[in-house]
Amino acid sequence: MAFEGTGFEHAYRAHAARLRSVAYHVLHDRDAAEDAVHGALLRVWSAGTYRAERGPLLPFLIACVRREALDAVRGTARRRVRETSAAAAAEPFVDPTAALDPVEAQRVRRALGVLSPEQRNVIERAYYGERTLAEIAQELAIPIGTVKSRLAAALRRLHGALSEGSAS
Amino acid sequence: MNHLDDDAELYVLGIIAPERAAEIEAHVASCETCRERVIAAEAAAAALAGALPPAPSEAATTERLRTTVGGSASRQRSWFAGAAAAAAVVLAATAAYEGSAAHAASSRLASTNTALLAMAASHFEHVSLTTPPGMVAKAIYARDGAWYYVVVSGAPPGGHVRVESGGTFRDVGALVPGTPATLFVRGVGRVAEIDITGPGDATVARGIPSY
Repeated sequence: MAFEGTGFEHAYRAHAARLRSVAYHVLHDRDAAEDAVHGALLRVWSAGTYRAERGPLLPFLIACVRREALDAVRGTARRRVRETSAAAAAEPFVDPTAALDPVEAQRVRRALGVLSPEQRNVIERAYYGERTLAEIAQELAIPIGTVKSRLAAALRRLHGALSEGSAS
Repeated sequence: MNHLDDDAELYVLGIIAPERAAEIEAHVASCETCRERVIAAEAAAAALAGALPPAPSEAATTERLRTTVGGSASRQRSWFAGAAAAAAVVLAATAAYEGSAAHAASSRLASTNTALLAMAASHFEHVSLTTPPGMVAKAIYARDGAWYYVVVSGAPPGGHVRVESGGTFRDVGALVPGTPATLFVRGVGRVAEIDITGPGDATVARGIPSY
């Protein structure tokens, strides 16, 4: 292909691994993960609404891909995926030595350490354990409203901790 | 719409009703306060994502396909790369890149983001074609039908792309063999149907574009 080696190919390769790992973590299927990445990108492009003011592109795309992947596993498909990965889901924990980006994993681990145990618990269940709000509420025997506010506060605190970490 | 409050973070985590997403994105486009909150949440979530293990490697997947499914070598190249190539072709073909608002805005970003940003601001549609097992086909096309980019993995030998409009079928060219096989054509216009044909001109895949 005449475009290999161009900036486009480079830009893709720079982001591909990260986006694929986000989708794969949700879907546990490589082809489905590629479809989710592909779908999310096409959605962004065809909408034509992304502007630089919207914020850095990669974090934006990561959030888009995660939503696309989660949408793809809702309903019966989601349950099937969950059953096959029940062992992994039972222990929502990320092994930093196995991370795509070990340096980032260490940084995240330090930042997660700043959260209260309650905050850390919900954010790990939601992000790494793929739990829904209702599932977290049930597992922890707390109201959904509490899960929501705790999750939101946890992510804000995490952002603060990461910012402080990179400043020092 | 009121400010997003906690929904800003929940939206980024992907644990909010899908029908709310478009509403939230529209609000974010017009509300600076909420936009900043969402951007901050996305930065934190991206860091969480960085701690995830990588997806299985291309080589491992190719090997798995070869040994367990007997998949053809055409699956080796990912859809992702296919989409990249598509976007590159699109930009080259439409020259929408130079002088566009996206290009001007992108000067503030890192250079690797420049190309993606330009792509993000271009307008095109896509459709997945109905295919037999072992074959995946997608068509990416301009909303005015000015160009079509057809990407096929597991394409039949000697595959062609055929379009139908007003009851008339027209062969617009042979797929260029590769992984995936591709065809980029211009000047087709809007069509009612996009087909892939195989040996004996038999239709093996079809899709209905919407513009």
